[in-house]
Amino acid sequence: MVTGLRSFRKRKLTLTAMQREWRACGPRLWLSHVDKQVKVKTRRQEHRGRLLSVDPVSASLVLVNLVEGGAAVCVVMGHAVEEVELLQEAGGEMTAQLWALFEPSPSSSLDSTQTRRRRAAVCSWLRKNRVPVEEAGEEVRVAGALTIVAPYRPEDCSSSNQVILDRVQRLLRTQQERTEASD
Amino acid sequence: MATPVPVLRLPKGPDLNSRGFDPNSPRYIALCRTTLATSEAAGADGEELQQEQHARSVLRERFLRCLLAMTNKKVRFNMHENVTVEATFGSSDIDVLNFQVSDLHTPIGVQKEALIRSQDVISFTFDA
Repeated sequence: MVTGLRSFRKRKLTLTAMQREWRACGPRLWLSHVDKQVKVKTRRQEHRGRLLSVDPVSASLVLVNLVEGGAAVCVVMGHAVEEVELLQEAGGEMTAQLWALFEPSPSSSLDSTQTRRRRAAVCSWLRKNRVPVEEAGEEVRVAGALTIVAPYRPEDCSSSNQVILDRVQRLLRTQQERTEASD
Repeated sequence: MATPVPVLRLPKGPDLNSRGFDPNSPRYIALCRTTLATSEAAGADGEELQQEQHARSVLRERFLRCLLAMTNKKVRFNMHENVTVEATFGSSDIDVLNFQVSDLHTPIGVQKEALIRSQDVISFTFDA
């Protein structure tokens, strides 16, 4: 069924018409197809593009094609996939470009004074909102369950507690809006 | 511009908690499936299992970031019977069984908020 994955030649992963075959492939096979050009056949249509990811929960494929002024993204649901054909190995540059569309915006480089000032502002705002915070070096620890790293934006928060994460992110967003409004 | 009209609510699919609903029936399995389980082969070997779990988490994180990039964008859903509808993407549930959308343009009107079943969708596209 599945021949050598290392070859870069046209490799047809001919699966039977049963949608279950693609879904049964497994995450490691899917991961090996990521960042490669693929052709996906559903019952009525064919989609081509760079495979960005395969959702392990629903086996849905995310295909991207670079177009003028951005990218056209197509998600094909796992249950509708009939055949997946590997077309070619991808170029590294294009991958980085594509991925830049989805990654969170890179943290702007702040010097140490700005970082300290920003950290102080964030801590005082959180304390004002009765949220227990403590500074641990360059990080800010909230309620022992959440960590904020420089430059202390909502997307720099990490926690395993969804509720706390949501509340702190909201507070940081409000702070951002207030700073922007006063500028 | 199409005037918003009330859309007929189609009958709901089978509920997990309905009485007399057989969890082994093909309909239940088709409509109420949950996460794809880890492969049995990986279960035997610790290292293989670790690799599989790593692959799963990388893929899932990328997929979730794609979904995040899609929020509040105009998305075109290609569904069965050659039906194509446009809506503003809201979110999906954890098992990717339903999509929450706003301003769903259907052939009979615009629905302000709607839930689309993933089994009804073949593919969907948007411009990043």
